[in-house]
Amino acid sequence: MGVNQPSALEQVLITTKVEKVINWARASSVWPMTFGLACCAIEMMAAGASKFDFDRFGAGIFRATPRQSDLMIVAGTVTYKMAPVIKKLYDQMPEPKWVIAMGSCATAGGPFDSYHTIQGVDRIVPVDVYIPGCPPRPESLIYGFMKLQDKIMTSSLADRYKDIFEEVG
Amino acid sequence: MSEPNTPEVPPAEAPSGPYRYDLAASPQRQIVLPKTAPVPSLATYKAEVLAQAAADEAKWQKQLADFEVAKAKAEAEGKDAPKAPVRAVPRKDDNDLKTPWPVEAVDPDLLSLQGLLGDRAEEIFQQAGELVCQVKKEAILEALELCRDEGDLRYEMLADECATHYPAGKDFTFSVVYHLTSISRQKRLRLRILIPEGFAPASACEIYPSANWMEREIYDMLGIRFTGHPDMTRILCPEDWEGYPLRKEYPTVGWGQRDIDFREDRGGVLNRIAMTTAGQLGINLKQPKAD
Repeated sequence: MGVNQPSALEQVLITTKVEKVINWARASSVWPMTFGLACCAIEMMAAGASKFDFDRFGAGIFRATPRQSDLMIVAGTVTYKMAPVIKKLYDQMPEPKWVIAMGSCATAGGPFDSYHTIQGVDRIVPVDVYIPGCPPRPESLIYGFMKLQDKIMTSSLADRYKDIFEEVG
Repeated sequence: MSEPNTPEVPPAEAPSGPYRYDLAASPQRQIVLPKTAPVPSLATYKAEVLAQAAADEAKWQKQLADFEVAKAKAEAEGKDAPKAPVRAVPRKDDNDLKTPWPVEAVDPDLLSLQGLLGDRAEEIFQQAGELVCQVKKEAILEALELCRDEGDLRYEMLADECATHYPAGKDFTFSVVYHLTSISRQKRLRLRILIPEGFAPASACEIYPSANWMEREIYDMLGIRFTGHPDMTRILCPEDWEGYPLRKEYPTVGWGQRDIDFREDRGGVLNRIAMTTAGQLGINLKQPKAD
């Protein structure tokens, strides 16, 4: 009798973990950096524009500075001349930060097995999601982004600082 | 077809250079340097035609001699005489896609340029309706100035300047080509110089300011330094790049590229990669803990 009925207090309160709330907030407002390197950037712009509307997932606000960004979408070929710039931009982004390698070039060098191209942006920055394609369609980018959201939702503070904890002992 | 510019082929070995070569690691990526220098020129074409005609004639004479021998043998053995050889006539091929060959210069521009340059012009010809003038490498500035200023030439614009590496060239290594355009007369002209390794041609920046970046690109890609250039630095590659990528001996794929070496490793990425690699190789890189 009334045992399974939610009380008045439970109807207005949600109980959860702080970590989950933080993750939910982070995953729902991932701000990418305005940053494109080659033709993949055109698809990234299409994903951000009205037809595909990246903003539905909370990622529509492309910030013009790395200091306000959470996500770096490496969209295009990474050359040796560009590599230090990308590293610097990544270092300028505040934690927590994520990287999507978009397209074959950023993933593994693509067709450019050559003297001037880095064979994958993961040689210089850690990558969370790889999106294949040359270039990937906006749907692929959105799917990759949703995978990143899943990753953010399942991440925990302990995971992020696991290495440090292990080192400290 | 024999090329007049064919030198003796040196024995194959790993080319020396500032970049890393690992021929054993990737044999399928070995560079095959061209053995001929196919720089288009009228003299080369004429020599080719003569050589081909001589080869045809020699073949025909051999056929005749063979026939005489066979005939004498058949007569001696009392058999029927063999069939007389017929000289092959080259058939016209309507689907011929060969490169158009150089022809004698008939364009008034080229003839007037030849008159103006005199013996400073090494060769003048036309190919597929395009005008080509090869000048002496020391006289390129005078030639460019003539082309720009002379009343009946007036090539106002340097549309492009490029260079090619001919590792098999006999007395030259590079060709630098100047593509001139006359806007007022709607004509195009090509000037060319052949230069050996280490020769620094005069910069065309004084005459055509648009040569600035093109010469920087040539320097970046092929290592030709231009004297009198205001800023002879790399334009495409990073400033600390080693080697010149468009040279024929430069590795095209894979090997030869540099390892990325950033001075600071703030994200710990390089350390992580090193640890992963070491883990795959079974090496313990972690510092031992003091107990």
